[in-house]
Amino acid sequence: MTVAAEFGVLDRTPKELRAQGDARHLSLNEAEWTAIQTHFRALKREPTLAEVETLAQTWSEHCKHKTFTSPIRLTEGKKTRLIKNLFQETIVAATEAARKPWCLSVFEDNAGVVAFGKDWALAFKAETHNHPSALEPYGGAETGVGGVIRDVLGCGLGAKPVLGTDAFCFGRPDYAGALPEGAHHPRRTLRGVVSGVRDYGNRMGIPTAGGGIWFDDDYRLNPLVFVGTVGLLPRWAVKKEVKPGDLIVAAGGRTGRDGLHGATFSSANLAENAPTSAVQIGHAIAEKRLLDALLRARDRRLYRSVTDCGAGGFSSAIGELGAKCGARVRLEAAPLKVAGLAGWEIWLSESQERMVLAVPPKNLKALEAVFAAEGCETAVLGEFTSTGRLVVAHGAESVVDLDMKFLHKGLPKVERAASWTPPPTAKPAGGAAKPPAQILREMLAHPNVCSREWVIRQYDHEVQGGTVIKPLQGVRHDGPGDACVIWPHAAVGDDSDFSAFAVAHGLNPDYGRLDPYWMAMACVDEALRNLTCVGADPARAALLDNFCWASPDDPKQLGALVRAAEGCRDAAKGFGAPFISGKDSLYNQSKDEKGRELPIPGTVLISALAPVPDARRAVTMDFKGPGNALYLVGRTNDELGGSLCHRVLGRCGGEVPKASPACALDGFKAVHAAMLKGLVLSAHDLSEGGLAVAAAEMGFSGEFGARLDLDEVARDPRIYSDETLLFSETPGRLLVEVKPESEGAFLRHFGRGAKAAPVRRVGQTTANPILKVVGLAGNTVLEESLRALKDAWQATLPGMLK
Amino acid sequence: MSARPMPMATHLIEVRLRPEFSDAEGASALQLLQAEGLSSLKEARVSRLYRIQGPITATQVQQAARDLLCDPITQEHRVVVPVPAPLNGMNFWRVEVWLKPSVHDPVGDTIVSAIADMGLPRPEAARCALVYRLSGRAAKPALERAVARALANPLIHDAVVSEAHP
Repeated sequence: MTVAAEFGVLDRTPKELRAQGDARHLSLNEAEWTAIQTHFRALKREPTLAEVETLAQTWSEHCKHKTFTSPIRLTEGKKTRLIKNLFQETIVAATEAARKPWCLSVFEDNAGVVAFGKDWALAFKAETHNHPSALEPYGGAETGVGGVIRDVLGCGLGAKPVLGTDAFCFGRPDYAGALPEGAHHPRRTLRGVVSGVRDYGNRMGIPTAGGGIWFDDDYRLNPLVFVGTVGLLPRWAVKKEVKPGDLIVAAGGRTGRDGLHGATFSSANLAENAPTSAVQIGHAIAEKRLLDALLRARDRRLYRSVTDCGAGGFSSAIGELGAKCGARVRLEAAPLKVAGLAGWEIWLSESQERMVLAVPPKNLKALEAVFAAEGCETAVLGEFTSTGRLVVAHGAESVVDLDMKFLHKGLPKVERAASWTPPPTAKPAGGAAKPPAQILREMLAHPNVCSREWVIRQYDHEVQGGTVIKPLQGVRHDGPGDACVIWPHAAVGDDSDFSAFAVAHGLNPDYGRLDPYWMAMACVDEALRNLTCVGADPARAALLDNFCWASPDDPKQLGALVRAAEGCRDAAKGFGAPFISGKDSLYNQSKDEKGRELPIPGTVLISALAPVPDARRAVTMDFKGPGNALYLVGRTNDELGGSLCHRVLGRCGGEVPKASPACALDGFKAVHAAMLKGLVLSAHDLSEGGLAVAAAEMGFSGEFGARLDLDEVARDPRIYSDETLLFSETPGRLLVEVKPESEGAFLRHFGRGAKAAPVRRVGQTTANPILKVVGLAGNTVLEESLRALKDAWQATLPGMLK
Repeated sequence: MSARPMPMATHLIEVRLRPEFSDAEGASALQLLQAEGLSSLKEARVSRLYRIQGPITATQVQQAARDLLCDPITQEHRVVVPVPAPLNGMNFWRVEVWLKPSVHDPVGDTIVSAIADMGLPRPEAARCALVYRLSGRAAKPALERAVARALANPLIHDAVVSEAHP
């Protein structure tokens, strides 16, 4: 056997191996090196470079989610417990407990799949592209979008993308402090990332809607770029299989040197010596051709399985497809961008816009014709076998000869230490008191609340013609929507079927600074109440989790991560909403200008997808007329810890908002049932800024005023402060506008038991566009022109980008 | 068929907006450069520069430039002949931002196949650059620094700053 470019492993110490590997950006630890060494000692040969690289890719944090699947010993105060597999015990356990028959494929495929009507299914995936976006915002975001679109394309036998969605965490664009050499200013990151998402989505003709942005200076060196795609596929195309004898066919872009070490590089802290090859520029037009050809071949049932080339390129795509049987690959058949690539480079290159298919030999000719008609290249790279081995050759040279079992199951599990100390419950302290009107103005102008129109207007959210509820709402199409509703009639091809779906997100790292458990709970609650507001069915919601954390090698960070995962579990169980897919991105920390480690705040993004039974019943958040009743659903508690109000006042401490899923879900279901009957004119969720911000946004979007009476608010009886009622961020609450003649019918949807969500008439809409709030003592707490509030809300982002 | 090989050549074509149109891209670039401290810059215009290499003649490249790369209503094109930059007292600048040779250029790829689709000889390679034509006083090192922070990312771009004709 000829072994090229040998990688001396057999007679080195683990420490030497790690040093040797780190120089090549392999990101393997000592225990993993020992496992590789033991395996090859038994084989009595040195591994080839490509074998080591393949193992490093497949075992990387990025691909195998080592932290989430390894045992963790968690110390909480004096108690210690062992978590055998965090992912199984939290996310998967919650989904198994929910046991929903409409979940068609969870955690297995490239995306989660849920049923959509009788004949269709929706594939949903969101992931991050943080490290590349930190280095090159435009290219990083663009290839991130391209990658998640391919995830959906490579889900089942291929889904047609019908919605792109995004969420970002950046440093403030007006950040004035110092930055280390080579780091981009947050303003530039924001511009570049938005342009990248825009260019890829718009060029592929996929509407981009339903996003969010969070600004916090701790993200200045490690921006978070979450991108997601929803795809539509026929039910029959959900299952895929590979049979020995099927041909391995690569389709799409050519293979070049780009993107080498992407997966291993993203599994380490971002350091100065990042490989430039990890950054690429996407080619949206090439991916569009691939998409069109693939879906045509799918409908002619020309292939049996498909997956995308993401991190790890061919090595992980072919390795995954052939995991249960085996594969023989001949790399010299791969079309190349430049001549002279070594075998291991072709095998591991992460060149964009490529997919791998398993094609029965009799269909090859027809498949090639379909792809050629779209100007999309294909090449036969080999065949799937029944040997259980991964055998890769490049001409006469043997590149890889690995046992699939060792590749996929050989990863040694290392126990990790985690610790969690609950934060002391401190009374709110610090900051200066301000009048409520000023707090409200400052909250609306705060970067985390202000208008995102500058971003949204760059995205094409109308293409495909199915965006029923748009990201910007209200009489002037500039109010902040809770979620978007997509009626995929163009993809379904049936204009008499009004089934639609909605997508929303929940994210709030400020709660996580106090307690990641309650942050995760609040995020799930936020995503579901956003869905409820537009008319989606909260009882049919499917969730995606995306954890972004600093280094899990720090027990405190890992402890916080465990807390967040447990919050996700309890929220999913409580709301009966299963997780269907997810992703994690760890090691989001870098050295700042003074050489200190700057970790990001632990962040969970919950993305939720739910069907809207009838697109014609979907609801927007703007007030529809004067004299309508305003109902507040849900109880208000004194929960200002981590709230926007505290941030604006410079105050710390306080109770973190705590979701109570059973009660909240009861309220959501009641509102949804009322919406189906057409009883709800508008609905908006109470999140950052609480009741005051929600009422102001509804008012200035609809250009009608409102008069609220705080004494009517269902509340914890210990609250005596108007400010608390106005600005508290207790989850599970919605503000709903109802016509006076439908009030009785509306209220009949709400239960009366102790566990039912309270619903109270807290005021009414008025013709005069003024927000007036009457306090507990009957005094006027706040009386503000909505025009002035809207001006403040709109001026922030354009002002910061100047 | 004659076996005579076509000569290999490198052509540079610049496509710019006609001067009577206002240039939004240029205005945005000017704003970014001014935010980096170059407040004395007065105007920026953006054009695209294509480097096409392969067995294709100057006339054929002209044809591709006219029919493919240029929108004749709003744009004009010219063949760029490299000449030594005249010194103009630091009042006019030309900034070319190229993707590094190691970075894949999707626009270039598309041009290669589009030229072949026109029935012209298929070029070996094509690359596309953004050109910023700036007027206003600036010192070269300051301009280079601002370009690296606002218009180009040194990780993937090569930026060339030179004094230029007005």
